[in-house]
Amino acid sequence: MPAADHPAGPPPSRHPGSPPAASAGPPEKPATGSPKKPKEPQKPEKPPAARSRRSPLRWVRENAVVLAGCAALVYLLLPNLVILLFSFNKPAGRFNYSWQAFSADAWTDPCGVADMCGSLRRSLRIAILATLLTTVFGTLAAFALARYRFRGRSTANALIFLPMAMPEVVMAASLGTLFLNMRVQFGFVTILIAHVMFCLSFVVVAVKARVMSMDPRLEEAARDLYAGPFQTFLRVTLPLAAPGIAAGALLSFALSFDDFIITQFNAGPSTVTFPMFVWGAAQRGVPVQVNVIGSAMFVLAVALVVCGQFVTNRRRKS
Amino acid sequence: MTLTLSGISKSFDDFTAVHPLDLTIPEGSFFALLGASGCGKTTTLRMIAGLEEPSAGRILLGDDDITRLPPHKRPVNTVFQNYALFPHLDIAENVAFGLRRRGIKNVRAQVAEMLDLVQLGDLARRRPRQLSGGQQQRVALARALINRPRVLLLDEPLGALDLKLRRQMQLELKRIQTEVGITFVHVTHDQEEAMTMADSVAVMYQGRVEQLGPPADLYENPRSTFVANFLGTSNLVEAKVLAGQDTAGTASAGLRVEVPGADGALRVPPDRCSAGDTEPGAMVLVGIRPEKIALVSAEEAATVPDGHNRLTGRIKDAGYLGVSWQYQVETPAGAELTVYAQNLERDSRLTAGAPVVLHWRPAHTFALDAAQDAAAGEETL
Repeated sequence: MPAADHPAGPPPSRHPGSPPAASAGPPEKPATGSPKKPKEPQKPEKPPAARSRRSPLRWVRENAVVLAGCAALVYLLLPNLVILLFSFNKPAGRFNYSWQAFSADAWTDPCGVADMCGSLRRSLRIAILATLLTTVFGTLAAFALARYRFRGRSTANALIFLPMAMPEVVMAASLGTLFLNMRVQFGFVTILIAHVMFCLSFVVVAVKARVMSMDPRLEEAARDLYAGPFQTFLRVTLPLAAPGIAAGALLSFALSFDDFIITQFNAGPSTVTFPMFVWGAAQRGVPVQVNVIGSAMFVLAVALVVCGQFVTNRRRKS
Repeated sequence: MTLTLSGISKSFDDFTAVHPLDLTIPEGSFFALLGASGCGKTTTLRMIAGLEEPSAGRILLGDDDITRLPPHKRPVNTVFQNYALFPHLDIAENVAFGLRRRGIKNVRAQVAEMLDLVQLGDLARRRPRQLSGGQQQRVALARALINRPRVLLLDEPLGALDLKLRRQMQLELKRIQTEVGITFVHVTHDQEEAMTMADSVAVMYQGRVEQLGPPADLYENPRSTFVANFLGTSNLVEAKVLAGQDTAGTASAGLRVEVPGADGALRVPPDRCSAGDTEPGAMVLVGIRPEKIALVSAEEAATVPDGHNRLTGRIKDAGYLGVSWQYQVETPAGAELTVYAQNLERDSRLTAGAPVVLHWRPAHTFALDAAQDAAAGEETL
């Protein structure tokens, strides 16, 4: 009791941070500021408890990184979990915003909404084609920029960075204007061209970083061991650059698949991609199937990453 | 097959890495290119491999001119510095790489045999990253040797290994070379490595070959200050050539030189003088290896055999090295001489400050041109 009287006894104006108060940390603060009377009965337990166990402040300090990481993860994953949860909803009206009842209807009939699967197929086709084209061109460009010195190299480097730095709207609008002035029919091809254009930068950056970190002596060793220029590229250069190329390809697939702004400006009236469909549907009421597609893509992506990690871990161990 | 470099040179923009160079490397020999970093030895090796195109000159393998051949068409393989093993292939595939590129399908037996030769048979399925430095070194060697090249090029192959492992690999390399009988061209900056392994050594300095010969020859009879200092240590003293030739003991005429403060002239055998100007009055650098010098206390000066070269001096510092004693002796000649004495029966009078007489056989003396930098090649490591 005397130990408890001490921190509570002096008026708040004297010393808010007497020893027991300081060790108790944050929970103590409201006590000094707020009226004393209701807090008084809690006081006796707190200081001895904090002293006997390891101070909670210290525990927080030691695990700060883990806690921050978990918080960030929750922050990032919570929306996805909500989407997943509501893909099992049975909405009452047109809007899927409040939980009504559990139902797997949307999962058993994902294409039940008109035009949705058509737009999904279109998006996938564009994303795959754009990925193929950007990966090939981007890899070639990255090798040229990383390996050779030529006039205009630094200009090319700067231009490659531009699409990443520029606001998407500006790029989308100017590209749309260009197509309009050239009297190009808007549609699948214009979307593809636009996607190749902005995805290219990401592939170039990813592959270039990899190529620059490669040891040129490995290629010399291959040439020394009877591999001609083509064999050297195929057997040594390409396998070594593969992680960079794969990263670039995945990035461009993801970017192309979910791009909305650039697509919106360069699509024809009949070429509706999946993101455009979702946007349109959001005005009228989002069908549960959109949640299903979103959740499926998320689960698929996570599964791919986990598989990749698993394989590399096993390879490293063997 | 003899490897011949004739007039080969390499310039990068305004820098000449290798000055026109002539070398003949006989078949089956272990040849070392020795020099400090930046002397052009690696560039020379890369030109033989075909990884660098010579600015001028020709490279002949036997009678075939291979100067313009791309690297993958030359019957020459390289063990690279830091090995350059392919990280995405396992050990067996690394070793099989050359065979596969030449279209040989069934490589298993050869790979196994080669891995046994370098004592790595049980690691065939590992990745290079999982191996120690010494093991990686052996893989690099096996990967090159499996192709039975006419010439094997080794670019500082032991540079990344620690001292003990390096000693072990030196013997191992020598054993493998004797076993396979392939010509080895070995680039190194380690004079000890070159001396223990090579049949003949070319010492390179600033893009030129300073001296070429068997290791013992280079050590006993250096022809330039760089060789004298880079291979072991040398005492070099400026001396003036005296009139009158030395005829004592030898059929041909030697050189008599005078060092300030010497008791009489020093004699240099005629075949050990590489100074250009030996007219009386010209200056030369007289050299003697520290272990060739005998040291006696001044009180026993009378015991110095007749006909020995001798100098008087004072011990400045005596250091105990265990296997030997190292003395620094001040002489009136100006230079400070280093003397190594076997740790046998030491005269207790040989302490710092004691006056002493240094003497050695004239046959161990050499003379170099005084026009060069006497300190060239010193303390380069």
